[in-house]
Amino acid sequence: MGKKADILEGLSGAAPALRRYARALCAGAGAALSDDLVQSALQSVGARVRAKELRLADLDEARVEAYGALTALAAKRLADAPRPAPRHPPIVHGLAELSFDDRAALLLVSLEGFGYDAAARIVAAPRETLLARLMRARAALGSEGLRPAGAEAGARRAASHLRIVK
Amino acid sequence: MSPQTFIEEADLHALVDGELDSERRRKVEDHLLQHPEDAALVEGWRRQNAALRAAFEPVALEMLPLSMRDAATRVPAQQQGPIETGAIHWGRPGASRPAQRLDELRANRRRQAIFSTALTLLTGAALAGLAALVFAGRGETPHSPVAALLTQSYAARAGLTYATFVSDARPVEIDISRRGELVAWLQERVGFSRPPDLADLGLRLVGGRVSPGVAAPAGFLVYERADGARVGLYFERAEATGAPQAPRVGQGVVEVEWRAAGFAFVLVGPLSPEDMQAAAERAATAVAAPADANH
Repeated sequence: MGKKADILEGLSGAAPALRRYARALCAGAGAALSDDLVQSALQSVGARVRAKELRLADLDEARVEAYGALTALAAKRLADAPRPAPRHPPIVHGLAELSFDDRAALLLVSLEGFGYDAAARIVAAPRETLLARLMRARAALGSEGLRPAGAEAGARRAASHLRIVK
Repeated sequence: MSPQTFIEEADLHALVDGELDSERRRKVEDHLLQHPEDAALVEGWRRQNAALRAAFEPVALEMLPLSMRDAATRVPAQQQGPIETGAIHWGRPGASRPAQRLDELRANRRRQAIFSTALTLLTGAALAGLAALVFAGRGETPHSPVAALLTQSYAARAGLTYATFVSDARPVEIDISRRGELVAWLQERVGFSRPPDLADLGLRLVGGRVSPGVAAPAGFLVYERADGARVGLYFERAEATGAPQAPRVGQGVVEVEWRAAGFAFVLVGPLSPEDMQAAAERAATAVAAPADANH
């Protein structure tokens, strides 16, 4: 019992990373929506643990569960999400162009740093499927307009509101 | 081709994502050295990763909305309404259905904020107006030389000139004993050189000087009464004309201003307003008189 409480407590510490993932997964569809998703995911994991539907061995497993719940929720809720506004940086537009599955795979591995096995468990797909999605996402996102972080802060700032229109 | 032909795209991804053991990793890196196009791919993906992190890392650093802090441990209330996240994202309008309720809440809050701001401003304005009324009712407002400078009116400038020179040990630059010199000087610099004669009012001309005016060099003549009281006549080139205005009392001296012959005249002195007015009338008639009257 005490261990379960500890794990849930530790899961709250993962909330900032979950928010980051949710914001990226929503790709410009709104901060309110993405925060809503994080909260629902955390609550559903907590509820399932309390109801003894879910037995968590350690915090890593809890994180995988939380990301999984978040991804499943987002898949349902993002069906009719709006497009990102022109003020969003190009990377957000690039993300919005990807299919939901490809986007989730890319973000879990690239942004959240999950290994392939963990990421595959989160999206509830075989490892090969995850890899295929990741490759597709990376190929589609390309590298034009994406500058390495910190290399040219000024250029990045400028790029965040300037967009090539033709 | 090379012995590493079995290196495929999945290995490149695995290298970027740190999914390779050290031996395999070394092989892939060797492969990249020989295949710059693959190396470029890997570099591009690393850039993607960096760009993603740069774009979304700030979210993880934001302060966590209150309701999210213990979301996993708290037993949720049954069927609660739309979740208030606690964070107010002003710049990013909510987009989803549940977020619309939130937007309404925020719009309400914004209206309240605007209303209370307006109320505060109005109250402040009312208080300021009241204070202005109270202080104005007290009569003369003490005005410092700096304030006089800032207003830049002829009367204020005359008052400053008077305060500067009249109490000085040497109130005038050129004494009336050298009248010709004084007149020539004022004519050349200021353009007006007929000092009004106020002797029958008990005011004897002491002398004069050129002093800085509001927009041009000004002339300043000093008269003295038998009891030692000194009166200054300030004049500077100006446009409008007009009769002597009602005396203005301030700081113990009276200022009478009028316009004539393209000049602004200000008579400054410590005499009573009536005496000052009379002296100003006399000076005004003298100034308006034909040029040969005083010569």
